[in-house]
Amino acid sequence: MSLFVQQVILGLMLGGVYVAVAIGFSLVWGVLNIVNLAHGALVVVGMYATWFLFTHAGIDPFLTLPLDAVVLFAIGYLVQRGLINRVIRAPLFFTLLLTFGINLVLINLFLLWFKADFRSVTTSYSGAGLNVGAVTIPYIRLAALVIAMLLAGAVGFFMNRTRTGFAIQAVGADKDAAQLVGIDLRHVYALTFAVGAACAGVAGGLLSTVQAISPTAGEPYTLQAFVVVILGGLGRVSATVVGGLLFGLIEVLAQSQVPGLGAGWSNAIAFAVLVLVLVLRPQGLLGRLA
Amino acid sequence: MSEAAFSTQPSRTGRRIRRAILIAFLLVVVVVLVLPLTLTQQAADANLDPTTLGIDFAINKSIVRTETTIAMFVALAAAWNLIGGLTGYAAFGNVAFFGLGAYTVGFLTDKQHLSFALALPLAPLVAAAFAGLIGVPLLRLRGHYFAIATLGTGVAVGEVIKNLDVFGGATGLFPPILRHADALFFYLMAANAGLAVVVTWLVMRSRFGYGLIAIRENEEAASVLGVNTTAYKVGAFALAAALTGLAGGIFAQWSSFIDQESVFPIQYNVQMILMAIIGGAGTLFGPVAGAIVLEWLILSLAGGGASAVYAQMGLGVLLAVTVIFVPRGVVDFFGGSSKLSLGYFRRSLRETSV
Repeated sequence: MSLFVQQVILGLMLGGVYVAVAIGFSLVWGVLNIVNLAHGALVVVGMYATWFLFTHAGIDPFLTLPLDAVVLFAIGYLVQRGLINRVIRAPLFFTLLLTFGINLVLINLFLLWFKADFRSVTTSYSGAGLNVGAVTIPYIRLAALVIAMLLAGAVGFFMNRTRTGFAIQAVGADKDAAQLVGIDLRHVYALTFAVGAACAGVAGGLLSTVQAISPTAGEPYTLQAFVVVILGGLGRVSATVVGGLLFGLIEVLAQSQVPGLGAGWSNAIAFAVLVLVLVLRPQGLLGRLA
Repeated sequence: MSEAAFSTQPSRTGRRIRRAILIAFLLVVVVVLVLPLTLTQQAADANLDPTTLGIDFAINKSIVRTETTIAMFVALAAAWNLIGGLTGYAAFGNVAFFGLGAYTVGFLTDKQHLSFALALPLAPLVAAAFAGLIGVPLLRLRGHYFAIATLGTGVAVGEVIKNLDVFGGATGLFPPILRHADALFFYLMAANAGLAVVVTWLVMRSRFGYGLIAIRENEEAASVLGVNTTAYKVGAFALAAALTGLAGGIFAQWSSFIDQESVFPIQYNVQMILMAIIGGAGTLFGPVAGAIVLEWLILSLAGGGASAVYAQMGLGVLLAVTVIFVPRGVVDFFGGSSKLSLGYFRRSLRETSV
């Protein structure tokens, strides 16, 4: 029984990471109608930023998160304003190809600068955890879960309580009407992508504390972010939170409870969830039909 | 911007130039097709002793290998064009069919000791059957949903096969090596590429093809007009899968070693799409031209180490430039509907920007 409880806790914590990764992805998809295949690479930028600040400046990885967000915000704004805005009205797979191209360029820049080596951020408290009976809760994963929830709350607040958030939602609902009331489309598009990238940066900073950093470390997260958004439903932060936690639970429980499935099956599990949800409930668990 | 602004009547000199290009092109095709025969004949002449063969032989071998690889990508791009270009469904996971075809041949020749000639015909059948199976649920999806679901298919199928010990697990499979068969593999790949073009040509002229184009332009309208959209889409998907699977089957025997990494590479998904788009998606020869040019570029740029990194980066930049400036492909202005000029790039840019 305690083993099962342990798995559930680990699943929820893994889900926290998925929530962090998927929030920015979901925002960009929902508002700009862009499935950002470079999202995983943006996450890796955050990983390297935290690694760099931790190794060379000795800053605690959790304190580097705001800096990651600022760096990625700037990169995201420039990428959207300079590149993606140029194809935003083209058929959708042009944006897929463009973001895949950006992904390719970023990954190879990492390879040039950092080589294919694995790096890690190891703090004095990295291995520590809270013991409750037979159940262990690793501090770092707990902190990652809490920060992911705070990030979700912050994005939710920004979208639903601020003027800029309303402008973004207006553009997402009807861009022509939004333009009529004086919203600068180019700026709002760039801003939305920048916020999405900033979330990816924070997610990357969190991930650098729990996994090895390498140029292609972000690749699985693009597909997983997609599955999380499909699972929860597009267009609401709360749906992404539910989707992320649930997906983390499904992955850990499937790997530990189903005989024959192990760590090597995570993509296949993600894909199975994806197809099941798309066939049975295409709008997602909390989604509304378009 | 009206369509008329894009099209100009081809002038007489324009037609003459185009005819000259066509003749030159046919000559090149003949040379390319005959070359492997003469190049690999040397191996037989040297009485199968590789030590008596000099550096020339190594170079010749690499030319044949380049040609074979290019022919393979012509087939992949032309096959993608059936579902992506004609039907308008952004399939991002065709590598699943390539890998399934490769593993069919690999499994039958390595584990079941079947001959290559008997195993190969099963590769397209397995790939097409799988496409039919997943096509029914997946082709109900539109847009991004279909794109990522197929992307996931490519990743997941490779992972499942890697985890099953029957298929060699992480070690991979080793089809028995066929010696001195370089020319054979080239002609098999070239025949498959030719088959893909002929199939596209036949499809484009048939009721089936018109139905696919109708689906691309407006699926609801096509359905109202009596096109059985599900059957048509699954048909196009399975046809593309069969051609891709056949290429994979030939590849398995050609490389005589396959594993998940070598036959389910994610970048193939995007390479075939890029080839079709650079050439002109939805046209007959666009994907062929795109595949030849791009794969030749990739092969000549890619060495090992740092140059491979630059080659990949170049591919990324090429993707960005293509989708921003030549979204309709180069066939658009070489085929005669528009002129190549600065204004063309500017219009392409303005059409899709905010």
